[in-house]
Amino acid sequence: MITRFWAEIGTAILTLAFGLVIVKGSLEFGIGWDSSGPQPGAFPFYAGGLVALASLGTLALTFGKRLAGKAMLADAFLDAARGRRVLSFLLPLVAFVVLSVTLGMYVATILYLVFAMRFQGGYGWIASLATAILTAAFFYFALEKFFQIGLLKGPLEPLLGL
Amino acid sequence: MDNIANLMHGFEVALTAHHILLMIAGVLLGVLVGVLPGLGAPNGVSLLLPLTFSMDPVSAIILLASLYWGALFGGSTTSILFNIPGEPSSVATTFDGHPMAKQGKATEALSFAFLSAGFGALCGVVLITLLSGWVANFALRFSSPEYFAVYFMTFASFIGLGGASPFKTVVSMGIGFSLATIGMDSVSGNVRLTFEYDVLLAGVSFLIAVIGLFGIGELLLTMEEGLKFEGVAAKVRIGDVLRTATKLPRYWLALARSSLIGIWMGITPGGPTAASFMSYAMAKRSSRDPDKFGKGEPEGVIAPETADHAAGSSAMLPMLALGIPGSATAAVMMGGLMIWGLNPGPTLFTDRPDFVWGLIASMYLGNIVAVVIVLATVPLFASILRIPFAIIGPVIVVICFIGAFTAANREFDIWLALIFGLVGYLFKKLDYPIAPLVLAMVIGDKAEDAFRQSMIFSQGSLSIFWSNALVGTLMAIGLVLLFMPLIGAGLRRLRGQGETRTV
Amino acid sequence: MKTIAISAALAGALTLGGFGAAQAWEPTKPVEFVVTSGAGGGTDNFARLVQAIITKHKLMEQPIVVVNKGGGSGAEGYVYGKGKKGDPNEVIFGTNNAYLLPYVAKLGYKYTDLTPVAAMALDEFLLWVKGDAPYADAKAYIDAVKAKPMGFKMGGSQSKDTDQTLTSMIQDATGAKWIYVPFQGGSAAAVQLAGGHIDSNVNNPNENVGQWKAGQVKPLCVFAPEQLAKSEPIHDGKGWGDVPTCKSAGIPIESFRMPRTVWLPADVPADAVTYYANVLEKVSQTPEWKEFIQRTAQTAKFMKGQEFTDFVAKDDAANRKVFEAEGWVVK
Repeated sequence: MITRFWAEIGTAILTLAFGLVIVKGSLEFGIGWDSSGPQPGAFPFYAGGLVALASLGTLALTFGKRLAGKAMLADAFLDAARGRRVLSFLLPLVAFVVLSVTLGMYVATILYLVFAMRFQGGYGWIASLATAILTAAFFYFALEKFFQIGLLKGPLEPLLGL
Repeated sequence: MDNIANLMHGFEVALTAHHILLMIAGVLLGVLVGVLPGLGAPNGVSLLLPLTFSMDPVSAIILLASLYWGALFGGSTTSILFNIPGEPSSVATTFDGHPMAKQGKATEALSFAFLSAGFGALCGVVLITLLSGWVANFALRFSSPEYFAVYFMTFASFIGLGGASPFKTVVSMGIGFSLATIGMDSVSGNVRLTFEYDVLLAGVSFLIAVIGLFGIGELLLTMEEGLKFEGVAAKVRIGDVLRTATKLPRYWLALARSSLIGIWMGITPGGPTAASFMSYAMAKRSSRDPDKFGKGEPEGVIAPETADHAAGSSAMLPMLALGIPGSATAAVMMGGLMIWGLNPGPTLFTDRPDFVWGLIASMYLGNIVAVVIVLATVPLFASILRIPFAIIGPVIVVICFIGAFTAANREFDIWLALIFGLVGYLFKKLDYPIAPLVLAMVIGDKAEDAFRQSMIFSQGSLSIFWSNALVGTLMAIGLVLLFMPLIGAGLRRLRGQGETRTV
Repeated sequence: MKTIAISAALAGALTLGGFGAAQAWEPTKPVEFVVTSGAGGGTDNFARLVQAIITKHKLMEQPIVVVNKGGGSGAEGYVYGKGKKGDPNEVIFGTNNAYLLPYVAKLGYKYTDLTPVAAMALDEFLLWVKGDAPYADAKAYIDAVKAKPMGFKMGGSQSKDTDQTLTSMIQDATGAKWIYVPFQGGSAAAVQLAGGHIDSNVNNPNENVGQWKAGQVKPLCVFAPEQLAKSEPIHDGKGWGDVPTCKSAGIPIESFRMPRTVWLPADVPADAVTYYANVLEKVSQTPEWKEFIQRTAQTAKFMKGQEFTDFVAKDDAANRKVFEAEGWVVK
């Protein structure tokens, strides 16, 4: 189980890191003010700086609340049951992305939808396959044929002559 | 009046069976590209552009403009149903539209959205009809300082709206600003913050951020809550559409205010996206019960939709009369105008009255056609929510990622959408407001460019923002908007519980 | 690189005016047109018109898909082309930014990552002032600017791009000095001039013609070796052909023009280069193309093979001189 406290701290550290990366990246272009106004790095520098400072603020606030003993921070951010539900959705989703860039988006769509419907939703093979293939076919005709936009393709499409 | 006579002539040009068919086809295609996030109106229009080279210009622009209206409507549909803004300008529609859908009021939300959008669009067209000459001259007075002032006003109206932690609001907005600066900086010609990764050259697309933060983030939350949209049980009846229509006049004030904001942002360079945000903010600020916003308040749908479409249609005027594209879609259409042999500019109205007034007449007709068509699709779209989440959830995932890819044909964007999805989930759970991030991303780089151009104009002196009546007024309004929450709180304290509405 | 160019030139010479019957290479799958500008930009119009003409006249068997990769002033499209090394089904449309961008910004591609195919037209640059400005000719305006250094504003699209390069050339050649204000594009610079927010710009004909028609702006001179082709009168009885050359008007710059270019990725078969050069040459002979060129007041000039590489070398050297003098070149 993750408590709200650790979730707040973790996120604030992430945003702090993001802010610092932006600050670092913008130093290269000058952050001052010359005769023609702010130098190219100034805006991102201050934007990144604000993110970093506000993240520190959140960190301080969260620690302060913890010291003051606020009950809300000890609440669960994600308990085991909820965590499992999120992961059961997130992991296939990540798999879909990985499959999209390796096998192509049409194949990934079919595999992902069949997996989600058959094994997670408990639908029959026929319903799952039909939904998956219809969805992929819809995108194929709407995008490839009608709008002439190609999606990512993998090694399979050329074999089918598509 | 001359313009009315011209308009009547325009109707003669536009009102043919051929053109009505083109409008219907355009609207249907537009709804399709609008519903698919990422594809969007600019893509749709540029994909159809080559087809129009062999058409006569009036037919061509009618087809493209109708596609634009359709896409604007389609974009609202997915905002309301799935919290995925199909178009940048429908982000603000998600704030209350999606909560309404979750409460089983999808039909009502969609009907409100479409009807008020149609109303806003017609207001915009009426303005073009009556005031085209005056508006064109007014828009010529805008330069970089005025542009900056308009963006500043938009920000100022939106700041201090939410009840979120100020630190978290700053983090969110700062991230938005930072992301907007990635890529080519046109003022200095430098490539900023790419850290030598070529994939960042083109910057971080706002569309991708929205698909991730809103679409995928929302799906993860829904999943955590346990597998269902709360609106599944709601029945969908065509009668509900009509019932909603009769309720619309109650919101006359919101409609009027939002139309004005939309028209204003359409003819100044703010554009539809800024218009919808600002209109939402003003609706919430002037509401007697601002706490209802964000939880399914119809006015929170009506305000951004009206402004979005009012801005979308009035943005056609600067495009035709000045050659300044008011939106990404208008930029593509302008390219089309040139290829058809028309030069956008002050003389287009006199050189090619048949084209201009035919287009304006088609904007009246096209929007009416569009409203009728999309209202007819409401029951269809609303019943999508009745499909079990185990099916529709993964299908939405597929739509989101395909949308992320088609936005710019970049593999990297798929990964980016995934990252934004995780960030959106985390931020929503920890009460980080997402709207400031989105707003900062949309107008952050434009505001930065305008500011730095102004500084080049004045050689580094801030006094340029008070150098003439126009920019001074705009900045003053912006400052009032910025400090109004404070002033309002002070007044309330002074007067006790009295009415303190100032807008 | 060089051998490709030479063989392309040879092959081009052999098939010049022919029907392409003896072509050794033809695309076998859909061809992608990569546009190095956003939708609606100048390069976008160029590529989409070429696509429309090819489709209408059936100059290619395979279908064409157009994709916009305009990020980073077009660098995105060229980087994409670099990633497609050896793939002759990717045709990249651009301007002289193909070889100029890598000088001024740190980008993930070099000019040698592209194979030159052809240039299809030259876009002209003119010096424009506001319609009611008191300057009768270029010399009068330049003298006014010289009398008040940094007192006049020149607008253009972006920094370190063609407009600023030309501004810098004029400054070097005449000793005048402007405040250069970069906008988001030529159309913005046109409207800013019409509204009197800037004093001049160096827009392409097509970017300012709407304002000229209305008399809001007027051209002083054109940066071309000879006057533009005659056209219908645009404003006050004057047309493109009546604009004097800048050289004759007292600005000693012989020529400044932007080629509309077409490229392939590196390491593609020489036959493929020939194939596309021939298709494009046929496009350049169609009435639709000629009408487009005339309407946008560009100069029709089809170059391929050696002629094109020579042009690139010359243009590259001229621009690089300015970049170096201005200190824009990145390491």
